[in-house]
Amino acid sequence: MDAIRADDLIGLFQRWRDTFAEQRNFLIALDGKVGDSDLGITMAKSFAAAYDTVAAEGAGAGLTKLLRSAGAIMAKTAPSTMGTLTATGFLRGAKALDGKEAIGTPEAAAFWRAFATGIAERGKAKLGDKTILDVLDPVAGALETAAASGLALAPALKAAADSAEAELERTKTMVAQHGKAAAFQEKTLGLQDAGATVGVLLLKTMTDFVSE
Amino acid sequence: MKKFLNDPAHFVDEMLEGIYRAHPQLTYVNDDKRCLVVAKPTPGKVGIATGGGSGHLPLFLGYVGDNMLDGCAVGGVFQSPSADQMHEVTKYIDQGAGVLYVYGNYSGDIINFDMAAELADIDGIAVKQVIGNDDVASSAVGEEHKRRGVAGIFFVYKVSGAAAAAMLPLDEVTRLADKARLNVRTIGVALSSCVVPEIGHATFSVGDDEMEIGMGIHGEPGIGRTKLAAADAVVDEMMERIFAELPAGSGDEFAVLVNGLGGTPKEELYILFRRVSQLFEQRGSRVKHVWIGEFATAMEMAGASISVLKLDAELDPLVAAPTNTPFFAHYKV
Repeated sequence: MDAIRADDLIGLFQRWRDTFAEQRNFLIALDGKVGDSDLGITMAKSFAAAYDTVAAEGAGAGLTKLLRSAGAIMAKTAPSTMGTLTATGFLRGAKALDGKEAIGTPEAAAFWRAFATGIAERGKAKLGDKTILDVLDPVAGALETAAASGLALAPALKAAADSAEAELERTKTMVAQHGKAAAFQEKTLGLQDAGATVGVLLLKTMTDFVSE
Repeated sequence: MKKFLNDPAHFVDEMLEGIYRAHPQLTYVNDDKRCLVVAKPTPGKVGIATGGGSGHLPLFLGYVGDNMLDGCAVGGVFQSPSADQMHEVTKYIDQGAGVLYVYGNYSGDIINFDMAAELADIDGIAVKQVIGNDDVASSAVGEEHKRRGVAGIFFVYKVSGAAAAAMLPLDEVTRLADKARLNVRTIGVALSSCVVPEIGHATFSVGDDEMEIGMGIHGEPGIGRTKLAAADAVVDEMMERIFAELPAGSGDEFAVLVNGLGGTPKEELYILFRRVSQLFEQRGSRVKHVWIGEFATAMEMAGASISVLKLDAELDPLVAAPTNTPFFAHYKV
């Protein structure tokens, strides 16, 4: 697939839904070590609601409208911090793609940059705080580099997903600064961040979807 | 724990059921009791919304009424309401002139109000925000953005409510609310802990002979734990921090709120105000408006807070404007 159009996007949301349904218990266990164990539930519910919403609206609504509707329903469905942050990411990503009908490499870069910036602003997080931002910022960076060198969408996303996985590994060396995990401080060393894990799952699923 | 309860899990919703039965001028939207609004919004008026955790009555929902607020998203005890609840309140109270959010500086509330503002923006509703940060004990001068919002938000509600009732546009209501925010300071002192119903025991402990100046309304640590001093000495120490930031000189005018935290009798609040008033008198300043009672509580916490608003020609008439809400009525004298 060289670009994600509105009808493809509905398929991508279906895949995200399936991923977070499969990873639900893994995320619950991961979050339970230093959080309140609701991350797996939040993500599974958010993406199930998002898929139902975009499927009901249909491709005729257009790419950006679908992304916006997905973000809005996520904000409604799972009012936990991570649910609100993910919703913000989709709403900001939708705004960045206003008027576009397909997501190629430059659009993917713009989408994930806006997604990451939105999360950073809303969550008041900065790099190194051991959050999803530590994965999404390098993802946006990798896609911007790929766009500048004219790389096609599938290899560009592959490069971004690889950097996401490397950065997830690096979150093990960081100390949590946000949310309930912040109270655990040094005890978070050695653990991969649960939010950052969500970031990797988002990217890997998108990459697999585009590469098939 | 010794409380009137049926089930700790139903604490907030049963409290709300009582409120709707007692005050028919209030209702709720989206079939959600936690989305509290005025039954009859005023067409064309800027809507004022607030929100925050339960456990602080009359804060926050108690100020929804005539010439104050139009809606309130109600959270669990000491928990933020959701962005969706705030968004539902926003949609209902927007009467074509936009909505101003006035709430306290707590990270959960900020994330959710920001999200609600973004959802309202998609609906084409203009939203502005003023975030109360009046607690001088919670961060130093220069770090005001980290300060918690406490009882002083009462003055921001009063000013923004009166400005909106005068049918001023959103930008002007926001400017005046922000001016009130910048000119109000609060400091509190706690004598005992509060008990969150679903937790069932005291959040912290204060010895029988101790006090903690600067403690937050959820039990956040204050400036220091000391022996309980005489009332005048306690007020002197508290007011020193207020006067350091709001200088009171000859001819200056102020509004003062002496607030009980839930477990302190009004008699004691008047003993505190006596000293507060003397200190303004010594400086040749005038306390033009005074409110004494419970305005922002922390469940059964014993203690009090003092909020001071510096008045000017613009703020004074807005503070003096009459209001009528289920928890706070103020008539023209």
